[in-house]
Amino acid sequence: MTAGREAIALPIVFLTVVLLGGLRIADAAAALAPPSVFALVLGVLLVRVLVQCGALAPERLVSPSRTALANANGVVVLVTLWAAGSQAIALVIPDSGLPRIALNVFFLVLLLNTAAASPDRVRLLRSLSVTFGSAFVLKFVVLYELSTPGTSWLKRVLQTMLEGITLGTLTQEPLRPVTGYIAFATVALFLIGIFLLPHDHGAPVATSEIGPYKALLPSRPA
Amino acid sequence: MPERTARALGLAVAIVYATLIGWLYARQPQTIAQVTGGLSAAIGAYRIDEQAFADGLRFFRSDHFPEARMAFARADSAERDARTQFYIAYSYYREGWGRLYHDATLYRQGLEVLDRAVALAPGGRLVVDDDPNLKIHSADELRAELEAGIRVDVSDFNPMRLFSERK
Repeated sequence: MTAGREAIALPIVFLTVVLLGGLRIADAAAALAPPSVFALVLGVLLVRVLVQCGALAPERLVSPSRTALANANGVVVLVTLWAAGSQAIALVIPDSGLPRIALNVFFLVLLLNTAAASPDRVRLLRSLSVTFGSAFVLKFVVLYELSTPGTSWLKRVLQTMLEGITLGTLTQEPLRPVTGYIAFATVALFLIGIFLLPHDHGAPVATSEIGPYKALLPSRPA
Repeated sequence: MPERTARALGLAVAIVYATLIGWLYARQPQTIAQVTGGLSAAIGAYRIDEQAFADGLRFFRSDHFPEARMAFARADSAERDARTQFYIAYSYYREGWGRLYHDATLYRQGLEVLDRAVALAPGGRLVVDDDPNLKIHSADELRAELEAGIRVDVSDFNPMRLFSERK
């Protein structure tokens, strides 16, 4: 990994995720929401999973063989990765009600399960993409549609019925559509950042990675 | 670029960027003007629009308070000038003042702006003593008037309040 990527690109990518991930634009005002304490804990778990699965090689960021300046750059990458991971998780978790509790538990269980399964780097990146993508769709598409004030009488009636049935625990504070676009870019940026992390070359290699070279492997006896 | 230079530059950029993000989270600016104003105030380069401030003063002195607030808001678009914010708070007091009752909504808005003004003043001490048109010269006096106006107590039923004067 080049010094430019480690010292400049990765911190800027992760800090941008921290900045944009907190942006909430409602009709009344815009606000920057810091990640919850639970999101910070989930962020620690995420970093642990990244290390365990070889998607992040901490010894390539901080080690006695590196200079003090290089180690400082490595620490910056690790800290900003943790902050960005927490903010990205907080971003795709709904802001209130039952969906918030459900998604918090979902992320906790998923990260613990991923740590237990210990997949390789490629599978982990795929898994994280699907997880963040699904949570994004749930919050910014499904819940957004359910929470946005209806323009037709039918939608308003259905919304009122839904609120009555769920006792108002499902609907969220309506956000401006631009928040969804910014959130999409933020999640994409975070996943790109994870992809760019210095990874463990000695980690187990996914079958898909060796696929093209399978013919070179000695054939197993029947 | 040599590796050492890239690393030093990256560290500096990361620290500055992280500080900026921390500042944004702490201040919660609502507009770009507030962001740029806050940053320029941080390096002591923030200046209000003097012409808009003069317009605001003219409106304020002729009891056109909503117009005065608009002009003051234009003068201090970043909400970083304690003196201008003091005048805005004062305009809420004067507009909300009444012989029979005070407008509690306007007084509360005045208190919000006054809090902001005091937060901006060095050491939290805010005194405007160069305007003879004002009868209240400090943030403490203005706060006392606003809080007394919101509070409901026995003095509200004193008929002598009909003879009280707006400050």
